Amino acid sequence: MDIGSTLQVLRDPAGIPSHPLVFQVLMVFTWIFHILFVNIALGAATMALLGFRRRVDPHWQRLSIAMTKVAKVSVSLLVVLGVAPLLFTQVIYDPQWYTSNVLSAGWAIAFIFTLIIGYSSWFVFYFRNKEGAGSGVFWFGALGLGMFLLDGFIMHALSYQALLPDQWMEWYAPNGEVDMSGSAIHAWQTARGLFFLAMSATVFGAFLLAYGDYFAVREDRPADYLAFARRLGGRIGGIGAGTAFVLLILWLAGVPGELGMWTHPITLLLAIYLAVIAFGLWRHRQGNPGGGYLMMMLATGMAALVAIFREALRVAYMRPFGYDALDYKVMADYPSTALFFLTLLGVGGLVGGFYLLTLYRAGRTDGVYQADATVARLGSSAVGILVVWVAVFFLTGLWVWLGNV
Amino acid sequence: MTEILGLYPTWYVPAIGSAWVMGIIGTIHVLASHTSVGAAWLFALLETKSYRENKPELMDYIRRYGVFLLVFSYIIGSITGPGIWYAITVASPRGVGGLIHNFVWVWAAEWVYFTVEVIGVYALVYLIGKIDPKTHLKLTWSFAIASWATLLLIVGILSFMMWPGNESWYETGSTLDAFYNLNFFAHLGLRTAFMFAIAGAVGGILAATMKDPAVRAEITRFLSKMGIAGLFLGVIMWMWYVQTLPPNARLVMETQLPGYIAPTLFAVLVATLIYFAWTAWRPMDLKQGFAIAMTGVIAVFGLWPEERSRESIRKPYVAGQYVYSNQTIARDVPGKQIESNLPLIEAEGVLATHPFVPDRLRTLDDGNRIEAGEVLAKVMCANCHSMENDGLRPLVKKFHGADDPRMIQAYLDGALFHGTVDYMPRMPLPEPEREALALYLAGLSGGGTPVAASETHDTVALQTREQGDK
Repeated sequence: MDIGSTLQVLRDPAGIPSHPLVFQVLMVFTWIFHILFVNIALGAATMALLGFRRRVDPHWQRLSIAMTKVAKVSVSLLVVLGVAPLLFTQVIYDPQWYTSNVLSAGWAIAFIFTLIIGYSSWFVFYFRNKEGAGSGVFWFGALGLGMFLLDGFIMHALSYQALLPDQWMEWYAPNGEVDMSGSAIHAWQTARGLFFLAMSATVFGAFLLAYGDYFAVREDRPADYLAFARRLGGRIGGIGAGTAFVLLILWLAGVPGELGMWTHPITLLLAIYLAVIAFGLWRHRQGNPGGGYLMMMLATGMAALVAIFREALRVAYMRPFGYDALDYKVMADYPSTALFFLTLLGVGGLVGGFYLLTLYRAGRTDGVYQADATVARLGSSAVGILVVWVAVFFLTGLWVWLGNV
Repeated sequence: MTEILGLYPTWYVPAIGSAWVMGIIGTIHVLASHTSVGAAWLFALLETKSYRENKPELMDYIRRYGVFLLVFSYIIGSITGPGIWYAITVASPRGVGGLIHNFVWVWAAEWVYFTVEVIGVYALVYLIGKIDPKTHLKLTWSFAIASWATLLLIVGILSFMMWPGNESWYETGSTLDAFYNLNFFAHLGLRTAFMFAIAGAVGGILAATMKDPAVRAEITRFLSKMGIAGLFLGVIMWMWYVQTLPPNARLVMETQLPGYIAPTLFAVLVATLIYFAWTAWRPMDLKQGFAIAMTGVIAVFGLWPEERSRESIRKPYVAGQYVYSNQTIARDVPGKQIESNLPLIEAEGVLATHPFVPDRLRTLDDGNRIEAGEVLAKVMCANCHSMENDGLRPLVKKFHGADDPRMIQAYLDGALFHGTVDYMPRMPLPEPEREALALYLAGLSGGGTPVAASETHDTVALQTREQGDK
């Protein structure tokens, strides 16, 4: 059957409640934060294990313990922040995503359990990675990182398979024999996968620079330790960005030439940006204070460019099949659209803002942090907006429910 | 040009079926997530008590329970949450697609809360004693309400899976009509009640480790009262919930569920009530192992049968009484411009119109009939029925070991074709596909030959048509 027609009928017949561009932008935008925490988690986990091996040096020991905590929190955040791009992908690229998943269903399910095993193992490492910990503890961390890398590979393969609809039937029914086991990974792209690892080194390098600056005000964090962290950050980040530049070229070499990605403006922009950020990070290799937040912002900019590049690539892959996410059927639904954006602004802004600001300020305070007027007002507003949200939720619900009953 | 059905490839899981994979992950998630939401309210109530009565020792319990939650709910719960998406994606892509496309903004709003909740739990746990008590109390209350909001938002989607409960949504396509369905408030009440009960039970695991006897007794009694309140509310909500179910669900409950389920659930309810009453009366008798065992009993003998039953009573649908469990769209939904797949299936069949059928199976002959029948069985039946001798509602047993294709085809021609059994889908396959399917299913019991089926096919089909005309 014609692949383009198949992709069209696999779209959900219910359509989507807002213009597809809204979902496409949200998909790209929310993925930026997801991948940042993926990068930080992988970088921090690797550094925690490396530090554990070198813990005779007190700097390495301190760094190992700190990065174990960073990886722990980052995995939580990458999971929750991954939900949004996953959701929006399913909205406008449901044929590609669902088919790819079903064709490797065993791996999609394995992803869940291996992530649980890996994260649980990492928690064991976290609880035991203290001064005087036995060397066997290392293997809990290694298992955790191993599972995270495996899960990254599974996600990579599922995403890549989604780009190759002309091969789906051959994977599902090789030589005409139907295989419903979902037991195989059918396609991956080594350079693309490795690019994200190099990107992890880049982002994590910038993170270490920001880490050094953040704790500069705390008396219980020695200055030479923070300089040590900054030195590492500059080197790891600089080498990571340089490697990412090379891997981008190799990645592009594996993309069919007729898709025109070599000359795409976003490709050129990303390549230049990688070169610039590699230089910028490498300049921090001496560990001098300052500039950490700026480098973290630049790393976030890099993630944004990668997110846009990734979507441009998907658009290019789909074009020969006549699939354009922007012509998805729209069945406008304004109340639910308002629900999301008002919740994002009100709850995300006030409640999320309250939590983050409190955490930030408490983290930079020796002893007990006494909320100032801004944080106190923000806290009251957070509770207030939630009460209002719940009230509106129930009043609307009763009105609709009674109308229909 | 041949019309194409919007059907995805099939993932076939021998014996337990893809539905059970989904059910197992779902049950784990429900346990972890409801514990988390219930515990969030427990924290808010306990911390208010601590703040008002100047009892900082209660905060130590909250910190311990919070760390436990980080491991229990925010590893297992937060991974199995998206995990359900993965599971339902591979088990029922058209079903999850339907839900996503109806409720994307609701899910997106839930994601906002989910993100806030994850940041919140870290803030709550690690800022105890590091920020002033009043600010921490605001943090805890906002965390509790935000946690509950995730439940408020997901229940509307889950209850829509059961049915909209009225014709409004089919005509308007409005997300509000779908979300605030007939089943919604009763279902919400039921889950809210459960979250208090399970948080009370899990809380005992930590309460039993408190060293100060007075604190331990006070917290244990608090948990017991919360658990008892949850159980009583749950019973009331259950009675309401049943009244909001569709007729097919009630029929399945009355006639199709395994006989042990109702008595098991009742026994767990009574055991939990006794547990909470006992620990309220003699709080120092609560030991950690006892609390772990009680949690396990609720999960294995309460939650699993309950979740499994909820999945079962929805049959033959997976969402909104318009998508069958086998991915077929079973009715028109004018409000969304959705058209039923059944006319196309009746006219052209599945093999000719399914995009993921090899070309050599699209036209039936003696050489491929059984193989095509197997593909049909796995595509159209395997989401609910095992093809093996045991497992999930095995077809061999459902057909009582019938090895005569004529008997099986009589059912396909009659009850299934016309949709006369409430909990089975109406599946108007063309005659050659019914024949191929019957032949394959008879083979599962060791019988059936292409020749025998061909010879009897016309007679059985004719009889069925005559019955249908009458």
